[in-house]
Amino acid sequence: MAEVLNRTAAQRQPTWNTRGLNSATEQVGNWFLNPNWNNSMDQSDPFESALSSMVSSPAAASNVPVSGENVMMRELIGKLGNICNSGDASCYSTPLNSPPRLNLSMVNLPNQSTLAPFSADPGFADRAARLSCFSTGGNFGGLNDPLMDSFKLSGNQSVNVNGTQSNQNSPMAGNSGSDKKNTGVSRSSSPENAESGVSKEESSVSQQIPSRNDAGTRKRKSIPRGKAKETPSPAAADDKVASENDESNSKRSKRDGAPAGNGNAKATNDGDEKRSKENSKPPEPPKDYIHVRARRGQATDSHSLAERVRREKISERMKFLQDLVPGCNKVIGKAVMLDEIINYVQSLQRQVEFLSMKLATVNPRMDVNMEALLSKMFQSRGLLPQGIYSMDSSAQAFPFGYQPQQGLPLNNGIPNITETQFSMKTQGFQLPSINGFTDANPQVGSVWEDDLQSIVQMGFGQNQPQSYQGSITTGQVKIEL
Amino acid sequence: MDLQNMNPSSLKSRFATRFLRALTKINAQKPISSSSSREIFQRYRRIKVAADKSMAYSVRSRRSWSRATLWRLRTRSPRSRLATLARRSSVKTRTTRAASHGATVVDRKSHGKENKEDGGVEAEELRELVPGGEAMDLCNLLDETAHYIKCLTTQVQVMRTIANLYSLH
Repeated sequence: MAEVLNRTAAQRQPTWNTRGLNSATEQVGNWFLNPNWNNSMDQSDPFESALSSMVSSPAAASNVPVSGENVMMRELIGKLGNICNSGDASCYSTPLNSPPRLNLSMVNLPNQSTLAPFSADPGFADRAARLSCFSTGGNFGGLNDPLMDSFKLSGNQSVNVNGTQSNQNSPMAGNSGSDKKNTGVSRSSSPENAESGVSKEESSVSQQIPSRNDAGTRKRKSIPRGKAKETPSPAAADDKVASENDESNSKRSKRDGAPAGNGNAKATNDGDEKRSKENSKPPEPPKDYIHVRARRGQATDSHSLAERVRREKISERMKFLQDLVPGCNKVIGKAVMLDEIINYVQSLQRQVEFLSMKLATVNPRMDVNMEALLSKMFQSRGLLPQGIYSMDSSAQAFPFGYQPQQGLPLNNGIPNITETQFSMKTQGFQLPSINGFTDANPQVGSVWEDDLQSIVQMGFGQNQPQSYQGSITTGQVKIEL
Repeated sequence: MDLQNMNPSSLKSRFATRFLRALTKINAQKPISSSSSREIFQRYRRIKVAADKSMAYSVRSRRSWSRATLWRLRTRSPRSRLATLARRSSVKTRTTRAASHGATVVDRKSHGKENKEDGGVEAEELRELVPGGEAMDLCNLLDETAHYIKCLTTQVQVMRTIANLYSLH
């Protein structure tokens, strides 16, 4: 199973890599993880003020329509991007992240200066303080649940739209790196930003931001606990974005390799295609935890999230088992599926027993050359129909052997039993060779076991039906089973 | 399944080789035609054990069920009752497959109820069927079941082919 997950995870990665946003995302992610983070914290101080200003300005325009929410956020992110660029231009190695962002008309602040134009908003300052990534260099976990939910609403809505527009706005391309950082902030301040937005920034804020937001927010833990921890990168957007809030939640955290984590990490509302893009890019440092994003409209507390992860894992495996067990396609539902699986495993085990019994009784007529056997086994399919026949012939012996433990006379008891059991058994025997498995097998399986016992009791020594008279008369031997 | 170019290191070939070796060894002990039913039964048991053992060895210790099978086989007959009791009392914890590579069962604390509550009655039945399944949560149990089913089908295929070859000659 794990191999399946790993394979699918590996397959998803290329689609993720084809996205143009990855490079910029990576840089931001690396920047977040950069030990220089502490050094650059001085530069990040203007972030908070910028954040406060950004949030405060959106507060003014509270009647922005919902459609503008995404734009608002993008604007805010763009603003933050400018702040980031002003903070440390060297962090971004791509030309996209060039520090000068003078194209942004709405951003009044010069790139290298502090964010004086941004008015200070105490409410925003609170939110900024909660934004652990900017204040303490820790994970971006300082969001309240409603913030995250609203952000997800807006962010996810904007993702698909912005993906197509990502390349259209050249000035915004430069913001890509900073946008990633902005995603962290925008996430926290999303509700306010969503409603209010920055009017001036709307037009010029890169539409790429939401797509990058999507990347950044994809595998985020949706439950910010206000812990001041660094988010490796919101823009890293990969499964392994560490929200260490979850460390305390033993259910959610799981030590997995990156591929397994990628397979297990849950997608956002956007569905599986997003999940495919979410899988970690190579430079993403492997994390030990599986990070889950709360889905839209669902509870976001840690327990329910962990439960959901678990349930989805289980349903994944059930689907895999469904392919493995023939005849399970029509069945829906865990209990019935489990019943089918149980029956199948039981029938397989009984087949092994029956075959080993058969091997115990079959006398190799000649010295068997193992290599010849193997080569024949693996190269010839012609044996199979003959195998069926031989199994049928031996199957005929079973009804003869079937007898109650009380020792009824076999001759009398057998004919009645023979027809029913024989038909069942032949059907059962044919089924495995055809690789089919019907509902008749459970009953057949139970009969097999009895038959195996009875065969031994009979002193079953031959495969031929004609010999059953003789085998019956050999008497019954008490065998401990 | 490509029968013409069988992967020499595939599960199937590994199992087939081992099993055939064990089978010839068992058959060499006594000629079959003159065996009593009791001996036939004993041979049946030995062949069954050989089949299970061959399969478990072919899987090595990569899987929890194979480790459980090998453990069970090793401690079965010589000390039978005591060994099985000891095994049942020490519930194996869930271990990652990579981590427990080659590890035998060690006495550990049993999992809490919360690990097995999911799945209900059927999961309990499945746990009884799959060797080593008692200590697993549903998630791992399903993984193990999938691999176990795959190995069982391989086992059945190989044994059936061998039986056909034997009976045809």
